[in-house]
Formats: sequence, C-alpha cells, structure tokens
Amino acid sequence: MTIFNNKGKKLFLLFSLIVMSFNVLAHHVLGRPSYSLGEDSNTPPSMQVETQIGEYYVTYMAFPAFPKPGEAGRVNLYASRINNGLPFNGKVTFKVRDDSFFSSKQEQLGIQDIDDGVYRQGFIFKEAGDYIITAEFESGGEPYIIDFPLRIGEPIPVGPIGISIFVIAALLIFVNITQRKRLARIKASQHHNEVV
Amino acid sequence: MLDNMLHFINNLIYQTNEGMVHPGLTAEWVLTVLVLMLLMSVWMISARSTSLSRTNLTGLSVYNIPLIGDNLRKIITTPFVLVTLRLFTAGVFLLVIAAGLFGTPLAEKNIATMLTWTLWWSAVVVSVFFVGSAWCAICPWDAIASWLVRRRLWKRGNELSSLNLKVPKLIRNIWPALGMFVILTWLELGYGVTTSPYATALLALLIVVLATISLAVFERKAFCRYFCAVGRTLGAYGGIAPIALRPVDPNVCADCKTMECYKGTEDIEPCPTHLLMGSLTQNTYCTSCGSCSQSCPHQNVNWQLRNIGDEITYSSRPHWDEAWFIMGLLSLTIFHGFTMMPYWEGWMSELAFVIGDSGRLLMSFSLGMAIAMLVPALLYMVCISWLHFLIHKTEPWRRVFSAMALSVLPLAFSYHIAHNLSHLVRESQGFFSVSTNPFGVDALPLSMHEVHMRHMNPLINDEIIFALQATLILFGFWLALKILKARLLQLDGVVLNRSWVIFLPMLFYISVISMSNLWLLMQPMIMRM
Repeated sequence: MTIFNNKGKKLFLLFSLIVMSFNVLAHHVLGRPSYSLGEDSNTPPSMQVETQIGEYYVTYMAFPAFPKPGEAGRVNLYASRINNGLPFNGKVTFKVRDDSFFSSKQEQLGIQDIDDGVYRQGFIFKEAGDYIITAEFESGGEPYIIDFPLRIGEPIPVGPIGISIFVIAALLIFVNITQRKRLARIKASQHHNEVV
Repeated sequence: MLDNMLHFINNLIYQTNEGMVHPGLTAEWVLTVLVLMLLMSVWMISARSTSLSRTNLTGLSVYNIPLIGDNLRKIITTPFVLVTLRLFTAGVFLLVIAAGLFGTPLAEKNIATMLTWTLWWSAVVVSVFFVGSAWCAICPWDAIASWLVRRRLWKRGNELSSLNLKVPKLIRNIWPALGMFVILTWLELGYGVTTSPYATALLALLIVVLATISLAVFERKAFCRYFCAVGRTLGAYGGIAPIALRPVDPNVCADCKTMECYKGTEDIEPCPTHLLMGSLTQNTYCTSCGSCSQSCPHQNVNWQLRNIGDEITYSSRPHWDEAWFIMGLLSLTIFHGFTMMPYWEGWMSELAFVIGDSGRLLMSFSLGMAIAMLVPALLYMVCISWLHFLIHKTEPWRRVFSAMALSVLPLAFSYHIAHNLSHLVRESQGFFSVSTNPFGVDALPLSMHEVHMRHMNPLINDEIIFALQATLILFGFWLALKILKARLLQLDGVVLNRSWVIFLPMLFYISVISMSNLWLLMQPMIMRM
C-alpha cells in the first residue's frame, strides 16, 4: 500500500521544501557586497558585507576582494548583538558551494572559534567561478545562516548581452514575418477582388 | 531675537560623526529663505490683480535671434545634427554597458556608475531648466531601439518594421510610467543599483530591450509616451522650461490641411507621441525629436523662448493620471532626500528589528518607501478636500485635485535640482580620471584620503552651493504661489475675489512641503560614492 501516489509525493516534497524554507528564511540572509580598502593600507581591496540578521549585526569581510584561482584568501566574520553590542561567542562553521547553474558541489571549509572578537577562515580556490561562502552559527536555539557571494577569477558576462540580442532578434524576426504574411494576405485579397 | 531664531534652527540640524557627509544649508540661509517665503505669501494673498489667463503666450522665436537665427533654422530643419548627437549618446551608452559588464565592480572607478548616477541622473533634471525635454531627442534608449526596429539611421521606417498595434486602453496613460519610476527608485535606493556597475549595465540593457519591444509591437513611440519614467519626468518638468517647440505663426497651422507634423512625410516620422502642433498647449508629451520642424512644409515649427513657468501657470490641463504622476514625483524626490540622511539607516534598522526583517532589509525599505510616498499624497488629498469644501463643491473633486497638482510641481522640480546639485558638484570630481580609464582597469577603491579630498574640494564653493540651493527653494515657492493663484482664479474667480480664506488649504500644503524640503537641505547628506 502506498500512502502517496507520484503526484502526491511531488506535492508533499514541494510543501516540505516551502515549510523548511520558511524556517531557514527566518535567519538566512544573502549579504550585499561593497568594496573598500582593508584596515591596513598595504592590503589589497576587500569585499565587505554589513547585514542585520535576527538579533545580530554581522560584518563579513573577504580578502582579497577579487581573488584569483590558486591565490590564498581569508574571510573575517564579526557578529554582535543588536541590543547590547556584545560579540557572539561560540563556533562558526564556514562552508562553500559552487553557485553555477547546474552544480551542487559543496564542502566545509572549517569550524572556527572566536579570536579577538573575530572568526577567521582561510581559503584557496583552484578553479575560477562563482561561489557562495556560507557562515553558520547557532544562538538562542536558532540557526543563523549568512551567504556571501564570491567571484574567483574574471567574470564571464556574455549572458545579459546574449539574452538581450536573442530576445530582440526573435522579436524582430517575428514582427517581420507577421507583417509580411499580413501584406501577402492583403495583396492576395486585392488580386482576388480584381479577378472577380 | 535673531540669535534665538538661529539657535533654534541650528538645533534642527542633525549632528553626526558618521562617515563622509555633505554639509547642509546653514541657519542663516534657512532663516533668510523662511522670511522671504513669508513675504511672498503675504504678497500673494494681498495682490488681487492677476488676470484669469495670459492673453499672449507667444514667445520669442529662436529664428529671430540676431546673427545665429538663420543657422539655428538650418540645424533645426535638417536631421544631421540630431543624428550625430544620437550617434554620440548611443556610443557613450554602449560604453556604459560594456564597462558595467566587463569593468571593475568598484562603483567610483567605473564609468557605468559614475556617468549614469552621478553625472547623468543629476544633470538631466538640471538640463530641463535650460533646454526643456531636449534630452529625449538624443536619448540612447530610443535611438538604439529605433535603429534596431526601423533598420535605418534616420528617415521613416517601412510598415514591415512594427506591428503598429494600438496600446491597450487600460495602459494608455502614464500610470505605467509612474510604476516604472517607483520601481527605478526602489532599485536605485533600496536594491543599491547605484553602487553596482554590473546592475547598472543590466538595468540599461533591460530598458533598451523594453523600448525595442514597445517600438516593434505598438504604433509610434508608445514607450516614450506611456512607459518611460525619465521621459515623463522631463515632460512634467518641461512645462516650467523657458523653451519649447511651437508654431511660428498659429494661423499657418490653423489653415493647414495636410498636417505633416502629425502624420509625417514619406521620409520623416510622424509625431512619436501623437501631438498636433497647431493645437499644442503643453509640452508634457513632446520629446523634442524635431520631426515636426523637419516635416513642416511651411517651416512653421521652431523653438520659442518664453517666460519660465508660463505654460504650467496658464495653459497646461493635467489629467488625473498626470496629476498623480506629479504627486509621485514630489513624494519620490523628498524620499530621495530622506534616504541620504545619516539617520535613515538607523530608522530602517529599528523598523527591521520590529518587523523581523533580515539581511538587506528590503522589506523594511519597501515599507519605509511606501510610507514616505503616502504621507505627502494623503496630506495633499486632505488639503484638496478642504479647498473643495471652501469652493462649495462647484467643481468635481478630481478636477480640483488635477488642477492644483500643477502648483506643487515647482516644489518637486526645485528640490530635485537643489538636492542633485550637491551630488553633482561634490561627487563628479572623479569623473575625469574615470573617463581616462572607463573600465577601471587595475583600479583600487578610494582611500580615506581620496574620499576626504573629494569631500573637502567641491567643484564650486560651499557658499555658492548654499546660495543656489536657497534660491532654488525660493524659486519653487514663488512659482508654486503664482500657479496657485492663477489656477484658483480659473477654478473659481468669484469666490477668490470675495475671500482670501480660499488660499489657505494649498498655501498650507505648499508651505509644509517647502519647509520639509528646506529642512532636508539643512541636514548633512551621506556621500553616494
């Protein structure tokens, strides 16, 4: 005996995903990056995110801002409580996943303890691409997940131009064919009227 | 007493230690503006001599300007200058897209963000003051869309190039443009497109695609007339401009049977926004494309110089959607100012904490934006209802709403320019270095020293900026009062002559908005980049 048929299973899966995503959304953010020089003027530019999540202000910094494949980099995370400014004191897990469309590769970078108010995690990427670095911690029994986009190597921005050209070309061809057919119909109709 | 007043005004200025901020108007300037505003109000109520309408709104034809008039005629009636300018702006636009997609992500070192948000977005509104809606004539969105669809640089496209469908009646108004303006503002201030060259390029590409789709599907230039937020903004402000395309001799238009300006000729496009030159009384939809001046067989269309604000004072007849667009403009310009105050981030953070928002606080921002947009509109509706009651409901409420909206347009316009003036003179300094390296190759973010130098060395002196801002606010207030008086006379001259009380509702509204704008200009403003 089966409780669900195929359609039921799909609906149940979809419903579960939606319900689970609500829990995750409660304390799950994607940081908005900005760029600046590091505190030490000799360092390369850093990418920085300041965000508010649940009961914490979180600052996330990646050095260098534009890392290349094979180049060592690090992320720093600061988390302080909104109500009293006290830093979060616990363990933070750093993970990385490939953000390309058809990839689901994910691995754990490390679990870090607080060090002088900061959680530090080093990284080296072998391949260029778009990645999401995730920092996870738990406070007050609730999970906190902060996603941070990181581009390794030069971007390949042919997508938007390609899409625009495709949309415009398809539209113009459609318009041209439609109008030619319409004119042909009108001409045929005129010719028919003349013959009659 | 003077010291006490200055002290009181100084207490209204927010003191901050946060980052780099532009200084706001000083208390002395604010007090001067307030006193002059009071005098203007008294003058408006006491002077009763304004006529119902100006009998002669014909301005000076640029053809009649000594020495250059003939050359201007040649330029205006031939397409080559316009096509050259369109090629130039389209080239710069393509550079912006390429730099945004392929250049550095550092906003202050990429020409996409620098040119788009710091220079163009600020300067395009200022340009209305001098050349009306002339920007629309060289707009790269329309230029590229036209070249793609018509497949020719100039001359009229053939009938195969577009489906030429009529725009559905539901959206044959400027509600879509207002919606697009709200979305653009949300993207600009909420999503932060201004700080992302890549997002700026995507937005630019998207608008070209939308303009192209509109041109290929709908008749004439529906995008310019109904959908384009920038075009409709310039169109609304265009009524204030001291220059506009108009007939040289209205009698020639009255006798014209062929109407080339409306229908076009074999070579020249018809009016893209369905305007007939002979009956044109307002510039709201004129894109200054010059088709009318090129197609008129009598060379009877040219640029005319006129008094600032005469059009919206005497001849504009706004519809319901246009009135709401003006309200949207007013709300969004004030909202722009709010978001650049040092305490805005704090407010958003507190709101986010209350409603449980996380991350980029987009929900909090959207809520804040909705409130900021609603407050001026609701207050306006209350004042209109008050006025409606005072005129004994002799006119429909909607008509009163639409007519009076014109009187708040100068307030939006003057604050828009005054606010952008700060950005323009303080943040466009890096443009020269960016123009020599538009993609920002090997560029580093601005160091604290560079940011400080920009902050300390605006293109023009602080006192001149303050003087210009104060003058702009006064200009907006004066023009608003002038329009108010003329519109009240048109609405109900009898009641107006009997009692000054009829002035109160809109005088109250105009004063509140002017003082809000003044208060915003007093506050320190966070540097955008």
